[in-house]
Amino acid sequence: MTKKNIFFALVLLFSAICISGEVSAADNSHGEAASGHSAESGPHVLPLYAEKINEKFSFISNSTIMVWISVLVIIVFCRAGAGKLGILPTGFQNFAEWVIESLYNFFGGIMGEHLVKRTFWFFGATFLLIITTNYLGLIPGVGTLWVGGKPLLRGGNADVNMTAAMAFTFALLWFYWAITENGFKGFLAHIFAPKGQFKGLMLPLMIFIFGVVGVLEIVSIAIRPVALSFRLFGNIYGGEQTLEILMGLGGKWLAFLPSLPFYFMEILVGGVQALVFTLLCAVFLKLICEHSDEHGEEHH
Amino acid sequence: MTTILAAGVITELTDQFGVNLPMFIAQVINFILVIIVLKKFAFTPIQAMLEQRRKRIEEGEAKLERIEKQLAESEARTAEAIAKANEESQRLIDEAKDSAAVMSEQKTQEAIASAQNILAKAEEAAKAERAAMAAELKGEFGRLLTATTTQVTGKVLSDDDKNRLNEASLQAVK
Repeated sequence: MTKKNIFFALVLLFSAICISGEVSAADNSHGEAASGHSAESGPHVLPLYAEKINEKFSFISNSTIMVWISVLVIIVFCRAGAGKLGILPTGFQNFAEWVIESLYNFFGGIMGEHLVKRTFWFFGATFLLIITTNYLGLIPGVGTLWVGGKPLLRGGNADVNMTAAMAFTFALLWFYWAITENGFKGFLAHIFAPKGQFKGLMLPLMIFIFGVVGVLEIVSIAIRPVALSFRLFGNIYGGEQTLEILMGLGGKWLAFLPSLPFYFMEILVGGVQALVFTLLCAVFLKLICEHSDEHGEEHH
Repeated sequence: MTTILAAGVITELTDQFGVNLPMFIAQVINFILVIIVLKKFAFTPIQAMLEQRRKRIEEGEAKLERIEKQLAESEARTAEAIAKANEESQRLIDEAKDSAAVMSEQKTQEAIASAQNILAKAEEAAKAERAAMAAELKGEFGRLLTATTTQVTGKVLSDDDKNRLNEASLQAVK
């Protein structure tokens, strides 16, 4: 990229941030007016929930639109990166291959070759969707363009419905993979059976202790999707709220300035949260499949 | 009681965070859509391509190893052939040297014989020439002696006198 292009990109970014700041400030006053708050009552607070765009279509929220945009970006990524694959990679194919190969090796390092071969489609897709949605949520205009008294766009993962959709889908798949890898009996044994070899009086004691631990494990398993959902939602919502409040501090023309450093932090958070979500899912799966996987690898 | 309390907390949470079934299902569908798109159009073809490339690289490595092995064998064979050729050429050179020495000796001997032959012939020719010169000298000397004797004595010599004089003078010259 030449210096001229970098200059134009910076000017464009600067203008976009200025405009978004201005729109945000205007929207804040709009929102405050709508909610009955005055300017003195404090900074604008984003609602905890995604808002419906149209009452007729109750399943479409401003967050759903962002996810659709993410899906479109991902489709473009697929077309550009894997549309015409050549044995000698050129252009965008290099990037697409690098992304997919790196993710595959990363999850393979956690779960092992057997499990990653079975489950990469889920982990790869989840990581790419989360990171794409998080980064698209940082584009000026998201949360600041208002239509019909509501923001048109909202960060995809700043909606518990979205994060819960991913977390509960994973929970279902986790059961499926765990049972197919261990067998139903093995799955229950993995949770409740005593680990180790015990004889005599120790055996009933350990059966009791591991039974209680198994019950706790069940509670832990039940809480996992909720924890996954709220961890991702909390981080992304918190980031958006931080940016929103900081934009309010800069006034009409310098709204972008206080929030600018936090944009860089949000870029980091967007990537880290995508990683944390998928990493935890991978670890949960590895833990339940560990026993059978070891046997599998021994057999191989 | 606990169940009712938990249900109340859950309802409160879902209301507070706007969790509702239609939106949840819509997001699940979006998520499944992303998985399908990525699996069908990115992961499967790219992983197949990576696998194909890995196989090609493996094949290339195997070929390279085979070629290197063949090259080493070929180099060994070439070195062996060169050594053999060197040995053969050395043998030929030695033979040529021996042959040249023999030939040189032979030619030298021939030259010596030829030279001796020429020398002998030259000596013979010189002897013959000397004999001829001696005969001529003798004739001349006899003629001069006869003429001198004739002039000194003033007498005409007969053929017997001439012969006797010649023989006497020739014996004196010898």
